[in-house]
Amino acid sequence: MEPEPINWNSISDIIKKHQDEKWGLIPLLQEIQESIGYIPPDSIEQIAQALKLPASHVQGVITFYSGFATEPKGKCVLKVCRGTACHVKGGKSVLNMIKKELNLEEGKTSSDYQFTIETVACLGACFLAPTLMANRDYYGRLSPKKITGILNQYGKLKGDE
Amino acid sequence: MENILFNINDQKIICNPGTTILTAATQNGIHIPTLCFHPDLKPYGACRICLVEDKKSGRLMASCVTPAMQEMEILTDTHRVLNHRRNIVRLMMAEHPESCIVCGKGNRCELRKVAAQLGVGEHGLYQMPNYKPYEQINPFITRDLSKCILCGKCIRADHELVAVGAIDYNNRGFRSRPATIHETALENSNCTFCGTCVSLCPTGALAPKYFHHAGTPEREAASICGFCGAGCSLSIGVSGQKIVEVNPSAEQGAVNGATLCVRGHFANDYINSPGRLTHPLIRQKDANSNEALINVSWDVAMETVAARLTEINIKHGPQSLAFIGSSKCSNEENYLFQKIARAVFGTSNVLNGSYASGQMLLSYIEKKTYGTCRIAPLSDLKGAEVIIAVNADADHTVPVAGYHIKRAAKSGSLIVVIDSLRTDLAILAKQWISPLPPLQMEASCADLINVISKIILRSESYDKNFIDSYTDGLERFAECLKALDGNTISQENRIQYQELEKAADSIKGKKIAFVIGPDIMHNPEGIRTVDALLNLGLLTGSIGKKGSGFYIPVSENNLVGALDMGAVPEYLPGRRLISSDDNRKFFENNWQVKLASETGLDMLGFIEGAESGQIKAAYIMGENLIRSLPQPKRVEAALKKIEFIVVQDILNNRLAKQADAILPAACFAEKSGSFTNMEGRIQTFTPVVSPPGEAKADWQILSLLAKKMGYPEQYGTIEKIRQEIRRLVPMYEGLGNHHQDWIKNNDSHNPFTGNECRFVFSCVEPKVNLLPDADYPFTARIGSLRFHLGCGTRTARSERIRLYDNKGEVEISGSDCLKLGLDEGKIIRVKSAYGSIERNFRINLDLPDGLIVIPMAVNSNDVMNLINLEQIRQADQPGAGFCRVRIEKM
Repeated sequence: MEPEPINWNSISDIIKKHQDEKWGLIPLLQEIQESIGYIPPDSIEQIAQALKLPASHVQGVITFYSGFATEPKGKCVLKVCRGTACHVKGGKSVLNMIKKELNLEEGKTSSDYQFTIETVACLGACFLAPTLMANRDYYGRLSPKKITGILNQYGKLKGDE
Repeated sequence: MENILFNINDQKIICNPGTTILTAATQNGIHIPTLCFHPDLKPYGACRICLVEDKKSGRLMASCVTPAMQEMEILTDTHRVLNHRRNIVRLMMAEHPESCIVCGKGNRCELRKVAAQLGVGEHGLYQMPNYKPYEQINPFITRDLSKCILCGKCIRADHELVAVGAIDYNNRGFRSRPATIHETALENSNCTFCGTCVSLCPTGALAPKYFHHAGTPEREAASICGFCGAGCSLSIGVSGQKIVEVNPSAEQGAVNGATLCVRGHFANDYINSPGRLTHPLIRQKDANSNEALINVSWDVAMETVAARLTEINIKHGPQSLAFIGSSKCSNEENYLFQKIARAVFGTSNVLNGSYASGQMLLSYIEKKTYGTCRIAPLSDLKGAEVIIAVNADADHTVPVAGYHIKRAAKSGSLIVVIDSLRTDLAILAKQWISPLPPLQMEASCADLINVISKIILRSESYDKNFIDSYTDGLERFAECLKALDGNTISQENRIQYQELEKAADSIKGKKIAFVIGPDIMHNPEGIRTVDALLNLGLLTGSIGKKGSGFYIPVSENNLVGALDMGAVPEYLPGRRLISSDDNRKFFENNWQVKLASETGLDMLGFIEGAESGQIKAAYIMGENLIRSLPQPKRVEAALKKIEFIVVQDILNNRLAKQADAILPAACFAEKSGSFTNMEGRIQTFTPVVSPPGEAKADWQILSLLAKKMGYPEQYGTIEKIRQEIRRLVPMYEGLGNHHQDWIKNNDSHNPFTGNECRFVFSCVEPKVNLLPDADYPFTARIGSLRFHLGCGTRTARSERIRLYDNKGEVEISGSDCLKLGLDEGKIIRVKSAYGSIERNFRINLDLPDGLIVIPMAVNSNDVMNLINLEQIRQADQPGAGFCRVRIEKM
């Protein structure tokens, strides 16, 4: 399956909005990341030209911050906590189960662009361990049943129906 | 502000506020090891090797980024500091591949040096090499990023010094590496292969590419680059008698600092080319009465040359001889050359090949400004208020000048570019005005500039003081401007009038540095354009002040010097007009001869003279006329008619094949001399290696000739020639006293010296109305590429440049390509009224319609076939820079 086509017009609009700002690069990138879901590599030159920065520099900023992605991600980005507290409470098994259920490796996106699995060092919600984040929502005190529920909620079964 | 007083290792130190601990320590002879520090780059604090300890707080800090504070007590080599440094080096080594034995960096590796100083042999850690693909497809730079220690010198040099921005850090943590955009190979990025990063890399991660074993340099010697007009200081690495590496020298105050360009860095391998001339050759008939060039001794060769030239001189008179000097040879050589021609042979036919490509413009500005613009230090550009660049693609012609302009732009100088081409500078500029290309109907760059002057004049934001004190003719100029209508002119040039207003607004009240392409005079609007710029310069008082004036990025290393030494028909040494009786008298008295009263031939006159049979003999030093002049077939045929041709050159070229005597010469790295660069900086140099075979320095060959001609004065040493220059040429009164010196101005009578002379505003001459030419609708700009210099005689002999395989594609705008129905990847024919060439082409979306760009120097510089030879004489005719063409499908 193809990812959604890139809306180049909206990228151009975002660039226009920020191009005369001082220190406009990061706000600009954040807005593209937010609206497109990632920063298409082909847009880097366009961004660089508008801000009069070297393209290599823009790329450097994008690849430095984990908040920016250069590949399309799934509709649901699962961030599994790999912090100490979660580890003690079985965080690794949570990750393994999700990998197995979705048949997907860590850091990868499913071919239908539904799911992306990522890990984070700590979500800062140790009292809920083991935890994960799906898009912007926290899920804590995970159990196999709860995980299946979350995956279903975010459309794991859509493809099967 | 108060000075900072503090202690390093209990030694009292005083420094200026803001000085870093490292700089203060270095100034006081205290050594602190570094890896990421370089004096020309902003401090970065990446490697942490320069850690020092603050005695009071016990803190460890990187001395390169910590400013010295009052009463600090710094310790540079406590046990703790050393321990930390050792650990940092150990970690670097654990990530470094164990390939020191085969690494070309050898003992010049700074990581190895620091490790040795700290006594780290084995790191004793788990080896975690970070293998990256080895990149070595391009013929200039090999990249082995597994050896990268992330000091960031390459990246900082790329951004801060060269202002290209081809590479930057990519990713982070363990995966972090310098990378191009999309991690492509260097040749697919905007890298210009200037090699600055290679010279700065502390390890073997970046290295020059070699095709066969070259060996590491055994010694390094200083020299001055022999390519373009920048005159960069080089440090040449030599193995045996072979030049194996070229780097920028560490000399303070050099024009190039830590930078070089692709030619200076990588193309000097032409010196080792098998095409070098190594033995004197004389054309003789052999036993079967076939003509051939026979190897002879210097004595026989010079005897023959002297005898034949004397014979022709007696038979046909001195004006049947022509002496063609070279803007690539040194000041001393050009001086001696023109002296021999004028004083020994009595001819006035002294010229050189660079008149059309810059000397004409220099000489025009010289006359109009009374010599007040002879000196234009590039380093002053950094403080320039405004830089206006007109038709100057310095990034390609004189890259180091381009770096200066781009750095000025980054440090806040306002850059206005007037050019129909979107050059690298245009991208960076505050404002880019893109007029209609020259030779197109209605195009007038000159009038655009005049309109800017008009706006400034109207808003009374000109320099009244300067105008009252030093100039004449403003009223007349103002009257001329009244006739110009800004709206019409901007419409005719397809730009908005507001753009001109904006430009005028941003330059008003400021001093301007003008950067002018040396070929600007070669179109019908040329002289008007230069006049317009000179007027704008006077109006704003941009003459005689630091960071203002005229900068001409000339393409040859000693183009200025050849003019100053009088290797031109117009001038005697010291830019003294030959037409003035006083000047001629001066040299007649000093040289004890009568100078010829006829005006000497210019280059076209020489070719015409050869065609008509007037020229019987030519002595050509360091010029490859068949490659560099327009209409090469005509030039070749003309030269065939000359009875006796002496070619004194370093490379066997097409011209040498026609020679009756070949005298092998030494290149810049093999001789002593001095060059004068585009700034007016005179730099001396000494030999780095000896010349190949029996080749001799040009001045030595010339002194042999003088001797054989029975000239009483002997020029056995370079110092002898310099003495004479110092005595007779006030501009060069300090020649040879210092390694670096500047042209002197004290002989010129100019408005600043308080006598009656004043700068005069030029009138606005009526515009030349160009007629449309349906047969040749395109304007071709003959551009140079940074990979080649001028016509490419030397650079084409560089193995690296040859392997880079630049096909010199013609660039065409997208809509022109559509209009003509050209298929990409096919070859096209470009035709002018004088000839045609066949080339690949590519679409350049930045080009305006009607303009195409044809790079010079490739394919034996065949582009010269398109240009009319007649037009190298007249400044205001399409010549070296532009011509009209049509494009045909093949």
